[in-house]
Amino acid sequence: MLDTFEILTTSGVVLWSRTYVPVGANIVNSLIRDVFIEERIQPQSEDAGQKPAYRKEGYTLKWTAAKDLGLIFVAVYQSLVHLTWIDKLLDNVRALFVGLYGEQLAKEHSSVVDCQKFGPYFDRQIQELEGASRGASSTPNVKLTPPSSSNDSAGEESPSLPVLEKSQKPLYDTSADSTPVPTPDTSRPTTPAQSHLVTGKTRPGGKLSRKDRKKSALNNSAPVSSGDEASTKRKLGGKAAGKKGRTWGEFGAEELDPDVVLDYSSTDIRDANSETEALEEIKPETWGRKTGKGQFVLKDLDEEMDAIIAEQNSKKESSAPSSGIVGSSIGAIGGLFRNVVGGKTLTKEDLAKPLQGMEQHLLKKNVAREAAVRLCESVERDLVGLKTSTFTTIESTIRTSMEKALTKILTPTSSLDLLREIQTVNSSSRPYVLSIVGVNGVGKSTNLSKIAFFLLQNHHRVLIAAADTFRSGAVEQLRVHVKNLKELSKREGGEVDLFEKGYGKDAANIAQDAVTFAAKNGYNVVLIDTAGRRHNDARLMSSLEKFGKLANPDKILMVGEALVGSDSVAQARNFNASFGPGRGLDGFVISKCDTVGDMVGTLVSMVHATGIPVVFLGVGQHYADLRGLNVGSVCRLLMS
Amino acid sequence: MAWYDEDSWATAAFAPRLATMALTLALVLVLPILLHQFVYRRVTPTALPTFLLVGPSGAGKTALLTLTERKTVAPTHTSTSPLTIETLLPDGFTPSSSQFRSPGDPAYERARRFLLVDTPGHGKLRHFATAQLVNPTHVRGIVFVVDAASIAEEAGLTEAAEYLHDVLLALQKRYTGARTSKGPKEIPVLIAANKLDLFTALPPHLVGRALEKAVSEVRKSRAKGLKDSGVGMGMGGEDDGVDEEREWLGEGGEGNFEFRHMEEVGTGVVVKGGNVLGGEGTDVQAWYEWIAEQL
Ligand SMILES: Nc1nc2c(ncn2[C@@H]2O[C@H](COP(=O)(O)OP(=O)(O)OP(=O)(O)O)[C@@H](O)[C@H]2O)c(=O)[nH]1
Ligand SMILES: [Mg+2]
Repeated sequence: MLDTFEILTTSGVVLWSRTYVPVGANIVNSLIRDVFIEERIQPQSEDAGQKPAYRKEGYTLKWTAAKDLGLIFVAVYQSLVHLTWIDKLLDNVRALFVGLYGEQLAKEHSSVVDCQKFGPYFDRQIQELEGASRGASSTPNVKLTPPSSSNDSAGEESPSLPVLEKSQKPLYDTSADSTPVPTPDTSRPTTPAQSHLVTGKTRPGGKLSRKDRKKSALNNSAPVSSGDEASTKRKLGGKAAGKKGRTWGEFGAEELDPDVVLDYSSTDIRDANSETEALEEIKPETWGRKTGKGQFVLKDLDEEMDAIIAEQNSKKESSAPSSGIVGSSIGAIGGLFRNVVGGKTLTKEDLAKPLQGMEQHLLKKNVAREAAVRLCESVERDLVGLKTSTFTTIESTIRTSMEKALTKILTPTSSLDLLREIQTVNSSSRPYVLSIVGVNGVGKSTNLSKIAFFLLQNHHRVLIAAADTFRSGAVEQLRVHVKNLKELSKREGGEVDLFEKGYGKDAANIAQDAVTFAAKNGYNVVLIDTAGRRHNDARLMSSLEKFGKLANPDKILMVGEALVGSDSVAQARNFNASFGPGRGLDGFVISKCDTVGDMVGTLVSMVHATGIPVVFLGVGQHYADLRGLNVGSVCRLLMS
Repeated sequence: MAWYDEDSWATAAFAPRLATMALTLALVLVLPILLHQFVYRRVTPTALPTFLLVGPSGAGKTALLTLTERKTVAPTHTSTSPLTIETLLPDGFTPSSSQFRSPGDPAYERARRFLLVDTPGHGKLRHFATAQLVNPTHVRGIVFVVDAASIAEEAGLTEAAEYLHDVLLALQKRYTGARTSKGPKEIPVLIAANKLDLFTALPPHLVGRALEKAVSEVRKSRAKGLKDSGVGMGMGGEDDGVDEEREWLGEGGEGNFEFRHMEEVGTGVVVKGGNVLGGEGTDVQAWYEWIAEQL
């Protein structure tokens, strides 16, 4: 069963919700954080065309959005149950909600939407979809199951009446996604008498009410009228609640139990008045009266719902290119005009070409293809269905959206204040351990020395551990660096030493020893240099896991070259995964940034592949050439 | 039919005909009205005084906004976009600008009207708030909402202090960077210590103390930290923030930071406690009083 359904705005206000089983607010919050903000998890649906799902703490969350109105529709249910109709529910509820409250939602400077009356619509949708899915899976006759109102809030509001002839039609335009919809025919009961009864009865009342509905729709008071219905239904529902289960259990074989049937007729004949003439022309089946009445009310709601959903669908279709020569040419001219003036609703097709241009642009800036494609996809997701604002072209809309996407990616979730972290760790009287990994020749030792220099300037006592026991000359190189740093830091007051054990020993053990040594001798910070390794060298990469366990660094930084092209994505991924479960990289140092001009795409590729922030940039040959990242200026470089 | 013909529109336009005169008269009468509508419709709402809600994620900004708008708290989730509402100061609070007006006075009603802007507090989405601080034309005050219970923990305190530091620094920059000799108008900050209903919450004065201390720490480590940089140093002129002198919050960055240092740069900072939710109802009196003072 569905646990919770929420309709909320992107600004965080829950407009309407239905709770069957309470679900902690943190579940939806983590969906928003992980998927919408940090884009750490790229939800993938198992089947093509299905809505993506997000799993958290035993719950599955599915969602859809109405972007132009800033709405998110979220359904939460236990991962153990398999609900096939959630996608459909989301689509229908979106269409209904947007249709009913679109105007209120578009109002400026307000977050209040009066949608108290949405309950019955929602319950009806649930009933239909659940009914349809059950009907499809079992015999046709059992289709008419009473709604399992396991909750109290829904029970008192919902019509609690079973589905009769009305079976689930493909209400929402599903051309984009090919969700298999249970076809009406498979689930419709085949009794001819029943269908006759239904048509005979609903027509007179139905027509009238449709007119009313139209009027009320014009007056924009649809919610009010639906409220009336809701109350009527509540009355009915309350009365029928005790019996309906049995009624519908017997629906397929009503002759078998005449007693019960008679009993029903006697109670219900009193309030069945307007339908008497309609009833006369068909075989007066006693059980039919009550359900006839009940169904009459439901029919109203259904018709209204269908109308709203159909309207939404047709709106959606009309925004798509129309067929025919005249239509298409007018559409084309209008589209061109709107492209210049703004106010055009963006479709996938509109965006395809400019996005391709954007992708090319990003590739030129040395962004790896994979990252560029994903960025463009996220921009597309962001924009499809949106209206361009006045006097903006599609291109500039895409630009703005891309800038926003880049800023979001590059901005770290929490601040990266190394000095503060060191302070915090030191206050628990142990040294702060930072280690550096990366492929060969990217400048690990150089950048390690730069970090050491920065720490020395802040009067830290630094121990550099030479854990590159593999490449000859590595230890000597560090020795030179340490000598230089000692020289430089004499006046500053910091202190730096080298911890070395020669070549051939196990790097992880050396690192561990270095940490112990540092703790004993009062060093603040241990910087561990590691051997460079190809990220696709499985043997060397696997030794990193042991290294991570033994040295247990507070921070593991990976050095990547700004020059590297499409390889950056794989590098970042493999290193991030090499420390075993529960441990990953904490940040990147991008070296040699001074050599690439504005082709700074590597930053984006690496961050996008892993969601891990860039901590430092190496911008030159000197010890002082280390910088933090300025997100704004990188974005500007990338978009220029 | 050319334009110079007897019955062309040009001739008709200048002929002493009744239709022409009527049309002209109608134009003369209607045009100013339309113009007025066009101009004033646009200007009036934007001139409303604005209060900005900022603060770390989960502090209760959106909850406070819904409470202000509809007198009850709506359930909320993490925000991903800003939200502006137009609202009235609740009854019982008098805007300081119209203390001597009677409640029936339309000017009094107008003075109670203001805009409240909620911003997302997530680390990646703070640019919505900081963008507002660059050119705060109508901003009368900033409400920095913090969760007084999370302040009691190291991580929560650090996050709040970093954000607060950035907000205060932006305000200071605005003041010192102003061209006019008078300096721009003041923008006061209210630190709203929220969730006092929770028993783990720090009392307001301790929230203030803790934040002052933590902001000092942030300031210190920012002073020592690396310079920010874009990339492509060789390009020249592309990187701002490299050669630009960095600005320290408060007086010269010496000693401990205190909120009263901000008064010199046109930003008074006060800390007041309250709770948007809670078993014994809400308590946001102190905050509304503060807003009333600024109106
Ligand atoms: N106990 C208690 N909880 C509160 C109070 N105020 C807000 N909350 C809860 O704190 C949570 C977060 O509140 P929000 O208003 O959504 O937080 P926010 O500041 O808007 O967060 P972002 O949108 O992520 O920036 C919600 O679940 C509120 O119910 C309070 O005074 N007391
Ligand atoms: Mg919020």
